Amino acid sequence: MKSSALELKQVSKTFTKDGQTVNAVQSVDLTVEQGELVTFLGPSGCGKTTTLRMVAGFELPTAGEITIQGKDMTNMPVNKRGIGFVFQNYALFPHMSVYGNVAYGLKARGERTRDIGEKVRSALKLVGLANTENRYPNQLSGGEQQRVALARVIVMEPNLLLMDEPLSNLDAKLRLHMRTEIRALQKKLGITCLYVTHDQSEALTMADRIVVMNKGRVEQVGTPFEIYSNPQSVFVADFIGQANIVELQIVLAEQETLTAQIPGGGTFKARALRPDHHVQGSELYRTGQSAALVIRPENILVQDPSSEDGTFPAHVRSSIYVGSHVEYELVLANGTAIKAMVPFSRGMHIYEQQEQVSLLFDATATAFLPL
Amino acid sequence: MRIPALPKSTKRSLIKSDPVLYSAMVAVWLSFAVFIFLPLLSLLWTTFFVNGTFSFANIKKVWSAKYNVRALYGSLILATAVSVSGTLLGYIFALAVTRTTLPKPLKVLLGAVTILPLISPPFTSSISLTLALGPNGMLLKALGIKNFSIYGFIGIWISETLTYFPVAFMVISAILNTMAATLDDAALSLGASRWRMLRTVTIPLSLPGIGNSILLLFGASLADFATPLILGGHTFPVLPTEAYLLITGMFDLKGGAALSFLLLVPALVVFFLQRQLLGTKSFVSVTGKNGARTEFAQLPKTLVVAISAICTIMVVFIIYLYAIILWGSFVKVWSVNNTFTFEHYRYVFKHGRKAIGDTLLIAFLSTVIGSVLAVVIGYITQRKTFIGKRFMEFSSMLNYALPGTVVGIAYIIGFNRKPILLTGTLTILVAAYVFRYYATGIRSVVASLEQIDPALEEASLSLGAGTLRTFTHVTIPLIIPAVFAGMRYLFIHCMTAISATIFLVSVRWTLLTTRILESMTELQFSQASAFSIVLIVIVFAADAIMHRALGMITANFHRPQEASYEIIGA
Ligand SMILES: Nc1ncnc2c1ncn2[C@@H]1O[C@H](COP(=O)(O)OP(=O)(O)OP(=O)(O)O)[C@@H](O)[C@H]1O
Ligand SMILES: [Mg+2]
Repeated sequence: MKSSALELKQVSKTFTKDGQTVNAVQSVDLTVEQGELVTFLGPSGCGKTTTLRMVAGFELPTAGEITIQGKDMTNMPVNKRGIGFVFQNYALFPHMSVYGNVAYGLKARGERTRDIGEKVRSALKLVGLANTENRYPNQLSGGEQQRVALARVIVMEPNLLLMDEPLSNLDAKLRLHMRTEIRALQKKLGITCLYVTHDQSEALTMADRIVVMNKGRVEQVGTPFEIYSNPQSVFVADFIGQANIVELQIVLAEQETLTAQIPGGGTFKARALRPDHHVQGSELYRTGQSAALVIRPENILVQDPSSEDGTFPAHVRSSIYVGSHVEYELVLANGTAIKAMVPFSRGMHIYEQQEQVSLLFDATATAFLPL
Repeated sequence: MRIPALPKSTKRSLIKSDPVLYSAMVAVWLSFAVFIFLPLLSLLWTTFFVNGTFSFANIKKVWSAKYNVRALYGSLILATAVSVSGTLLGYIFALAVTRTTLPKPLKVLLGAVTILPLISPPFTSSISLTLALGPNGMLLKALGIKNFSIYGFIGIWISETLTYFPVAFMVISAILNTMAATLDDAALSLGASRWRMLRTVTIPLSLPGIGNSILLLFGASLADFATPLILGGHTFPVLPTEAYLLITGMFDLKGGAALSFLLLVPALVVFFLQRQLLGTKSFVSVTGKNGARTEFAQLPKTLVVAISAICTIMVVFIIYLYAIILWGSFVKVWSVNNTFTFEHYRYVFKHGRKAIGDTLLIAFLSTVIGSVLAVVIGYITQRKTFIGKRFMEFSSMLNYALPGTVVGIAYIIGFNRKPILLTGTLTILVAAYVFRYYATGIRSVVASLEQIDPALEEASLSLGAGTLRTFTHVTIPLIIPAVFAGMRYLFIHCMTAISATIFLVSVRWTLLTTRILESMTELQFSQASAFSIVLIVIVFAADAIMHRALGMITANFHRPQEASYEIIGA
């Protein structure tokens, strides 16, 4: 059986500093297949960097096991893991030329000088930096330094490429450009890659799969599409893209569907997420308790007030016409604020402040999540 | 089915995971045990144990001798006086350099003059003061002063102030330089006069520098041995000289140990106070900051005049003192027969050749070994976490914090019997210098490492280089300027310092500084001057060579502009 490129089993890391302990990473399980690009996404301090550094070997896990291509690496020193790490600030050696930087690992590996020269040149060509060999890092722009850092790592043909917010020091435009370039390079070379970022769009556009982390734990692992359209927790729904979270009381819990009370109105029926937990008999949803309804702004229609079942009575707090869309800020009867984004077409009525309206949620794009 | 991985302990022994670090730590602790703890504990043992039982008898005995009590008070009074006068003088110089528009060459001259005492052997100012104000003193004759004796409190005080005020100058000008010039503007724009600005902004903000300077000078004066030995005579005893005379004159090790314990207590108090002060604020950024910046406001006119006058007098006086030594080294008998002669230099190169060779060898060995140790200790205490790290930091500074006399006495007591019999050897001299003066090296290595992003070392590891290769190919090249800074300091001290090693010289191994002392006690002033000049020239030359070497080494990797260490990793 072919083993996975990387496997984390129940990996945890606890830091102790000045008598205080921080559970930076808690029981993380993850399997990454050969050639995949997996991004780590999550708020600041959620443990992304720590996880990556444990894979690299800069930190040792307090518990758990890490295997790379089937080999146990948990306690292997960094320099024997065959990984490549791209640092947020590039960490180019300031006392070496571009050539020296890229050749560094090959020299340490004891390769022949002639091979080194060839490999370095082709790596630099690959990142579009031919003819910079003799320059020093302080003579390069931020984007060029980034490319050197990349070349320095890929020249080693690592099993695993680890990147910690590699683009965060670049300006917005360059960031967009490098994003596609890195992705293209990664595909071309077929390198397995872990990529930490807290830029959602970066994660969504680059990744084969996304790992969403929160407070040291993995909230959800999935393709960008799954993460966006099928968030498995309120945290993920809230963190990825824009989402309205409405707390509703459950009036009927059925197999995979819930019916809930609309504040100041009728009832609303939608699917319940977390198919791994069946509704009946599970602790997740129970009649009389609350659940979170997740609805994205683009899946809401704003209409004249009506008493039709399943619509949400609300009033308008503000409306902004932005060309192709109208952006509404609305308030439900129970005070919950809702954002809606309605495509604009000619002759359409734009509701004004304080006007009473009725909201229609697209039931297929709406789901309940446990609170 | 696989059993889910149980939380698996990842604790590994250091020997396996990082054998290089492990060996380094073992080596460091071993060296501390032998060269720091053993001598100090021996000193305490000798002081407090009589026939194997704890007792205050030795302390009581030295305490009951009136002369020793006088020496303790003498030491404290002298240290207080020197710390005040030296700090005042240092402040005046610092104001002149940082807050006045004196012409640039003049400021450079001020700076240069403050460097001289720092790199001269400790006797220099005592010798020249003797030549100027001593018996047959030139200045006394010129001014027609009679019945003046340089020997005693006055002489020591003047001499130590001259020797140590540059330290105050460095500490205070560093802090005056880093102050925001806009504060001056703010004070003036709020209607304060220039005097008021000085009183309410400049001086209060420089208080930490003043405090640190007072402590540093207090400690330095307390520990100074050379000056009182030459200028103190019997009228003004101080502890270091009393301890020295007890040991070398009466072979009373116990008495010497007890006396040095009396000296150790105030020295440790000063050391802890200073750590406290520096711990709260890290203002000692001894970076020679200059160049474009907003200008500080001018000082009041009268003050500028006063400062200029004082500085001019001091500069002229210091230059005069050095000139007098140079002159003194070329005359037959000082003040008696002023015919020009090379006789003393002939003597120095004939009979002093061994001392010169020994001194150079010892300084060279100490500098090399001390620098290696400083790099290792600086690196592991800054970059690694391990149990006992704090204690390692503290221990490494111990011999440096203690007065040289105490260390010297501890060394003769600790190493004068088996199992480690080292008295009279080269090893004991080198060890005394290394474990005393590598402290600056450690500090500059640590400061430099703090500026270097650990990601650089991690990058090297992740590229497959091992710990050792990473250290030699990445860390060392990046900290080499700091290492050299420490080396220069170490070398200068090994060439000039005497307070600890005076106890350790022997027929087999001798030092230039002890030859100077001998010449002085034999009243061979011209000979002493010639020795001093030779020593100063050697120090200058060696320092220039090291400076060059650093330039050559770093030329290869700071291209094209000097790579500033702030941008490391970027
Ligand atoms: N060396 C350390 N010592 C103590 N605590 C640490 C250490 N490194 C990380 N932590 C703590 O562990 C937690 C996770 O940190 P980590 O750097 O992994 O977060 P992150 O997800 O990368 O955040 P960011 O997006 O801000 O980079 C934080 O609370 C952090 O303070
Ligand atoms: Mg991070």
